[in-house]
Amino acid sequence: MSTSLATQSLPASLLQPAFADPVLDAQRSFRAALKALAGPGVAQSLLATQTPPHLEGLAAASHALCLALLDVDTPLWLAPTFDTQAIRANLTFHCGCPIVSDRQNARFALLDDSQLHDLSGFDLGNDRYPDQSCTLLVQLPSLQGGTQLAWQGPGIETRNHVSLPLQEAFWREREARNDFPRGIDVFFVAGSELLGLPRSTQVLLKSQPANLQPSRGAA
Amino acid sequence: MTATPAQDTPDAAAPDQAARQHWIGVLARSRRAELLPHEAALRDADYQLIRAPEIGMALVRGRMGGSGAPFNVGEMTVTRCVVRLADGRTGFSYLAGRDKAHAELAALADAHLQGARRAHWISDLIDPLARAQDLRRAQQHAETAATKVDFFTLVRGEN
Repeated sequence: MSTSLATQSLPASLLQPAFADPVLDAQRSFRAALKALAGPGVAQSLLATQTPPHLEGLAAASHALCLALLDVDTPLWLAPTFDTQAIRANLTFHCGCPIVSDRQNARFALLDDSQLHDLSGFDLGNDRYPDQSCTLLVQLPSLQGGTQLAWQGPGIETRNHVSLPLQEAFWREREARNDFPRGIDVFFVAGSELLGLPRSTQVLLKSQPANLQPSRGAA
Repeated sequence: MTATPAQDTPDAAAPDQAARQHWIGVLARSRRAELLPHEAALRDADYQLIRAPEIGMALVRGRMGGSGAPFNVGEMTVTRCVVRLADGRTGFSYLAGRDKAHAELAALADAHLQGARRAHWISDLIDPLARAQDLRRAQQHAETAATKVDFFTLVRGEN
């Protein structure tokens, strides 16, 4: 019911098709998301044939992740960049997800790189249900080009070297909100590629390697 | 349910909305065989599927006697479809059952009915369908009414 009312206030002319094969394409995107979180720092790419038609403002992989992950039970928070009529209309129509203005109530959030200096307000889950935290979908211009950092933790054999184009402020924000098992899982998305950063991954920052990783193989 | 959507619709659009509710209802109750003769005319336009016909479940709720407390009758299959014609008109359909072709035709009909040739489509498609449905309904009522038994007591032999 809430779905039909939400779409009603937006013009139907904004709607456009989603996945060509709703079941299999959503499963392929979900599989890519699963692999991205299981192997943090390794980029997964979606084939052009399994991504939905271009939706203004969203990268192919962001759009595919939204269609695969969102439904009526997952309130979505949109950063101002993505809060357009076309994105609202299509996500509420195809996913049926409620779009919330309050970060605290969101299960998923769609952000761009202008938002990453402040991650306050997102639900970190609680000790009994850490899985109820908010998952961030962060759309970047590229998954390369920043300072190279070493990632380690579950799913990484030794170390993964990842050079996401992010400000240091993001890593400080993430560190401040990581209180295992509570914390935030992040998908970084650019074009048709995605890369996972679960809360369990340790990121070795140059300025503080000694705290996290004493002496052992400081590359 | 009827009151809520009316809120954000201006008064001028209300007759339009009632008319659309009527034809969408008629299309939902139509039979596939009744739409098939119009298939060529309905498909005679460039269109794309915004939501390809898909089958799902809907929970049917009822009230005992129409006014009692609501209860869940059960689930039924529903097929829905959304199409967009080349000129931007968007047609929706929700049908009982699992007939995808039927859902696509009904959505196309809704899209065509929002255009300039509405009167043509109403007289050609909707009115005959509505008449056939009224006839079926009347027949079923007549058949059911013939089986009705009225119980009454003339005299109770207690006094």
